[in-house]
Amino acid sequence: MQGFDTANPPFDRLTHQESEELRAGLDVGYFAPEEVIIPQGSSTDWLHVVIKGSVEVRDGSTVPTVLGPKDSFDARALVHGAAGEDFVAAEETLCHLIPRHVVLGLIHRNAAFAAFFYAEISRKLDAFAQQRKAEGMDSVLRARVREARCRAAVFIDGGATIEQAGHCMKDNDINALFVRDGQRIGVVTGMNLSKAVVLRRLPLETAVREACHFDVVSIDRDDFLFEALLLMTKHDKRRLAIHSNGDYLGFLEDIDILGLFAGNSQLIPGRIERARSIDDLAAATRDIQTQVERLHRQGIKVDVIAEMTSDLNRRLLTHLFGMTAPPSIREAGSLLLMGSEGRGEQTVRTDQDNAILLDRDVPAADLARFREAFTVALDGFGFPPCPGNVMVRNPVWSQPVEDFIRQLKTWVLQGDAEAVMNIAIFLDAEAVAGSADVLTRAKEALFELVRGEAALLSRFASLIETFATPSLGVLGTIMASVGAGPDAVDIKKAGTFPIVHGVRTLAIEKGILKTPTVARIEALVRAGILEPAFGRELSSALHVFMEFRLRSQLQALHRGAMETESILRLDGITTVERDILRDALRVVRQFRDLIRSRYHLGAF
Amino acid sequence: MGRRLRNLFYRATLADHAYRFLFEPGPPDEVVVLDCETTGLNPRHDEVIAVAAIVIRGSRILTSEAYKAIIRSDRVPPPESIKVHRLRARDVAAGRPMHEVLPELLRFIGGRPIVGYYVDFDVRMLDKYVLRFIEAKLPNRRIEVSEIYYALKYGGAPPGTVLDLRFQSILSDLGIPSLALHDAFNDALMTAMMYVQLSDMRQRGARIGRDRAVQQEAPVGA
Repeated sequence: MQGFDTANPPFDRLTHQESEELRAGLDVGYFAPEEVIIPQGSSTDWLHVVIKGSVEVRDGSTVPTVLGPKDSFDARALVHGAAGEDFVAAEETLCHLIPRHVVLGLIHRNAAFAAFFYAEISRKLDAFAQQRKAEGMDSVLRARVREARCRAAVFIDGGATIEQAGHCMKDNDINALFVRDGQRIGVVTGMNLSKAVVLRRLPLETAVREACHFDVVSIDRDDFLFEALLLMTKHDKRRLAIHSNGDYLGFLEDIDILGLFAGNSQLIPGRIERARSIDDLAAATRDIQTQVERLHRQGIKVDVIAEMTSDLNRRLLTHLFGMTAPPSIREAGSLLLMGSEGRGEQTVRTDQDNAILLDRDVPAADLARFREAFTVALDGFGFPPCPGNVMVRNPVWSQPVEDFIRQLKTWVLQGDAEAVMNIAIFLDAEAVAGSADVLTRAKEALFELVRGEAALLSRFASLIETFATPSLGVLGTIMASVGAGPDAVDIKKAGTFPIVHGVRTLAIEKGILKTPTVARIEALVRAGILEPAFGRELSSALHVFMEFRLRSQLQALHRGAMETESILRLDGITTVERDILRDALRVVRQFRDLIRSRYHLGAF
Repeated sequence: MGRRLRNLFYRATLADHAYRFLFEPGPPDEVVVLDCETTGLNPRHDEVIAVAAIVIRGSRILTSEAYKAIIRSDRVPPPESIKVHRLRARDVAAGRPMHEVLPELLRFIGGRPIVGYYVDFDVRMLDKYVLRFIEAKLPNRRIEVSEIYYALKYGGAPPGTVLDLRFQSILSDLGIPSLALHDAFNDALMTAMMYVQLSDMRQRGARIGRDRAVQQEAPVGA
């Protein structure tokens, strides 16, 4: 049948023959305004694809989501037997009707098409991520280590001389060897040999075991290249051993992937370490930002990008701390990153939340000098200042730990919105320089303070109501239909914040020290607070929002309009992405309800 | 009244009593949308070269069971008609003779009312063959979509209102996407979409605003 667009996802996953079969089975249904097409809780005999008109997805309480032409519904009711919401025609609506048996047949035969109908968004997302790979959208990073050119493994006995090792390298045209020394296996590089002879003036007859190191960093040959990159970044190595089934097979060097690979994040840690001045660090800061975009273009998953970026940002601040802090502060202080940076979820830098806790009194002049120098440096790097002034320069956020614990106590007693927000920010703190003990002490004091304080927890939880439940478009759709503007949704308010804050609330109640939201969710699942399946859904939904947020942030950067950084325009994404977004928002709604009933938010 | 008498007459003189079902009422909530492509606009000389019919049951358009046929005409289609429906002599030659198609089509239509856009033309074209075949004309009730549209949009309009009953205007007024025109099946489908929406609006007493801007496209066939 003509007029059915098989280029529209997920139908673009069908073969020609499959789409002909689909077309042959199509009927068309008409629905009058306010007609309930699929009632909540019922199944349906058809997958509906809107031809014209609009369909509201109503769940009774909130502003409905609106489906328009080319959107399809409802996979859940069709495959899993019960619609999650009411589907109601909002105006005169025509839909293609694809009979259930046709859809089920296609699901059975076509895995890519089937992915659209998975009940769990985590599976759906993974399937679509794989799809992207199959389409060749992303490059080298998703290749496996074994697919990269790598250097052969040559073994030498630990008792062999440095001279022999050198010749062995030359003969094999490589510059790293595995050293077998009894049970241990180490690695020696050409550079190790040179240093041993030139700098340490060891005789050429010295056993090679004296020149090599045994803390081998290795990667499995079936791992992804991006994991290799992550390892290199983390350990500041430019060469990894490749292993498989307990044997070393060779070396993977950065230049092996560098040529294939537009990014160079493994070089950034070196640049940070080598930095001798604030200006050197500023250059590294810019590198961190540009690689975020590069990695995103290469199709790297947003959680991996966030992990890499957080790691680099932490190194940067650690180094900056070393450069700007006088010795007294370096010894007594613990530098904290908070907010999204503390959780390791920041990709594009939006603000800075940092603090310093001191485990003893320091000279006031030293502290003042450090506050000034640190702040000026961050300004110079172009870090946007924190609107709430949650920064080292603020005395509240740079004081001895005992005083800070008293401050926490004051906030707990105050319990107003600002105090509660401060507690929330502090809860995400992660120590990046100095001893982490003071931070743990302060956090445990906080857990002690809130234990059993139902009213405070409830106030804390109530921040989740700060932003109303999002509408995925009613007003927007009307606006769009009169040509006034496209649909848009604020990803931060609609998705990220409710998840992050709800999880944070549960974490403070349960005294969970971990800061990343996904790690907290895992801890909550282990503690039996969240169902494992729902925990997975929540993590996936968070990643969905992070991915969309990163996209709109990069667009905002290009347009130079950072105030729109979390606004996602619905006309800029595909119908499948809209569907995934809808699923993710559904998870948020469920989670909000859970938090609401757990903390009795009805009273607010 | 005239048609009822005529139908009684045809029923009595029906040559082939196997086609009596045409005079029995069809299933209660079903109609059939009919569209013919022809070699021209004169029923006396021109021929049907393609036909499509789709049953509407309630508010469902049963496209999966649509009837489609290309008919091999005795006449070569003139060049000007080829421009309209894009069926060349070669395509038409690949079709089947009317005496094969017609019994199938009549069985498909049954006693259901026939819906169409300028439906009288399509029925008149078919009657040419039907009369020869069963010595009767199609007795089915006819439903004209442009008439429902007229009533909802122009009913009670002040004198002098410019009427626009063009197919494209109805489509865009109802927000129905335009499929490739002058393909018998597509035309029938679009007509079916118009019909389900118009009859629902009529039932609800809804009207079509006359001030609504109608997107006009290039004239048909241009």
